Amino acid sequence: MEKVYAEALERSVLKGGDEGQLFAGLMRHLKAVGRLKLLPGILRELRARQSRLAKLAPSVEVASTAEKAVALKEAKAAGIEAADAVVNDALISGWRGRSGAQLVDRSGKQALIEIYRNIVTK
Amino acid sequence: MESIIKRIESEIASYVPKGGTEETGIVRATGDGIAEIDGLDNAIMTEMVLFDPTFDRTLEEALKDAAPIYGLVLNLEEDGVRAVILGDASKVFEGMLVRRVGRLLSIPVGDSLVGRVVNPLGEPVDGKGPTGVKDIRPIEREAYGVIDRAPVNTPLHSGIKAIDAMTPIGRGQRQLIIGDRGTGKTTIAIDTILNQKSEDTATRPICVYVAIGQKESKTAKIVAQLAEAGAMDYTIVVTAPASSPAAFQFLAPFAGATIAEHFMEQGKDALVIYDDLSKQAVAYRQMSLLLRRPPGREAYPGDIFYLHSRLLERAAKLSKEKGGGSITALPIIETQENDVSAYIPTNVISITDGQIFLETDLFNKGLRPAMNVGISVSRVGSAAQTKAMKKVSGKIKLELAQFRELEAFMQFSSDLDADTKKRIDAGQRMTEMLKQPNGKPLPFEMQAAVIFAATNGYFDTFTPSETAAAEERLQDFLRRGGTGVLEKIRTSREIAEETEKELRELLDSFVERST
Repeated sequence: MEKVYAEALERSVLKGGDEGQLFAGLMRHLKAVGRLKLLPGILRELRARQSRLAKLAPSVEVASTAEKAVALKEAKAAGIEAADAVVNDALISGWRGRSGAQLVDRSGKQALIEIYRNIVTK
Repeated sequence: MESIIKRIESEIASYVPKGGTEETGIVRATGDGIAEIDGLDNAIMTEMVLFDPTFDRTLEEALKDAAPIYGLVLNLEEDGVRAVILGDASKVFEGMLVRRVGRLLSIPVGDSLVGRVVNPLGEPVDGKGPTGVKDIRPIEREAYGVIDRAPVNTPLHSGIKAIDAMTPIGRGQRQLIIGDRGTGKTTIAIDTILNQKSEDTATRPICVYVAIGQKESKTAKIVAQLAEAGAMDYTIVVTAPASSPAAFQFLAPFAGATIAEHFMEQGKDALVIYDDLSKQAVAYRQMSLLLRRPPGREAYPGDIFYLHSRLLERAAKLSKEKGGGSITALPIIETQENDVSAYIPTNVISITDGQIFLETDLFNKGLRPAMNVGISVSRVGSAAQTKAMKKVSGKIKLELAQFRELEAFMQFSSDLDADTKKRIDAGQRMTEMLKQPNGKPLPFEMQAAVIFAATNGYFDTFTPSETAAAEERLQDFLRRGGTGVLEKIRTSREIAEETEKELRELLDSFVERST
């Protein structure tokens, strides 16, 4: 039940509904039907959804600060519009970016893993 | 060492970074071998996905365990997809990156699979190294249509007298083997594989034995038995043991059918044994419930019939235009307390072209194979029966049916008239003659000769209890002195007048010597 309420709230917000009004409406409804005890569950579900959306939000990672500008430019060309790039030295070189279900990985780490897999599986 | 260095150098030199856009998802939740995934907006049903364990790790950590884990998309939902994990589910974690592979679940197939033991993904599990096959085929495909098929007209001899005489199997047929546990279902299947050794190499079918939810020790024993008899030269074993994930047990029969199709499309004959589909149904039920699909009768999902019908429809005899190859399917179903009217047995009975019904009571009476002649049928096999077998086996079923009636009557009456006594003796002799030890299939010409002897009264000089031994002696006698006649039956596939005369002479001389 918590999931259904959270889903309904999320959809209404995405449609442009006023968050204050939605919250007030939800509280009124829960009180009226005697389901106020669902509130912690709805909160948990909304947080999970928020973190899920954050994971799917546009992001760009670069191997070093020096590569930031080029990476953001290339990412924009690939359809990933992130405000800033995060440094992740595990990438070794290059960059990778994600937006929703889309991933572009031009990092040295990915290239090395692919070469390694090609060698060990042939 | 030099070659390794060169290989690595060439691999690096030929590497072209992909760098393009790919569609990914993130594991939202995982448990019981099922992963709920966010993203993957354009994923399609039965598409393969790859759970990438390397994404959030450093290169050093990633290379320690870079093997990808595959998954199979089975539910497309409004806010994501659900996939079954085809591998070690404990390595899949929340937040893990999932990549689309871009193809339906496929397995490598090729001629070099012959003699190998593989899992449902086509990966070798026999410790003999890579299979070396490169062709990839999707494991789900639509079966051939009416136009592409030809009628079943070539026999596939099981080597078991009772089956080849009364419920013959044709190439391209689907013949169900059904019975309680421990009634000899697997034995019939294995004997059928063993018997193909007596076929000419040109017409010998490639056999695919699919072990679903079996104990690994049982599969190992079967593989050893096949190898010892030289049957692994034309056999492939696909195994999804009881310890494997439900997804593997669900996929194994489809993998077996895909491998068999590779040979069928080359114009060859293939024989696939699904041992057994009850366990596949149970695995599919488990997966469906975990995927939150609505349960139906006996908690099986609504598409359980379609699961088996789409699999068994892939058995076919192709037309000449399509190369004339065939897939014969021998699905096995395990019943509980001989109840053939349960859900899965009735489904599979209605899909197949006949069934061999094995009974515990008959098995315990020492009648092996424990086939219930009354309810075992072959709906298309008689069209594929050789003239020789048709000629000798015509009366058996009727005689046995009459005998069974009289046998029941015999229990209540001690004074029997001569005619009834004669019929009962004949029936008992016939029953004894149809007994066959496991692992000893008979070539069809020997079966024809032995059944000819039985139906023409050549065993009448023996008491019913002596018949089995007499039959063994007759086989020895024919092997030593009757090779000419046997060869004629084998090549002409019939018992012509001249051959019959020679056979009768041989049988007369056998009876004379034995008395």
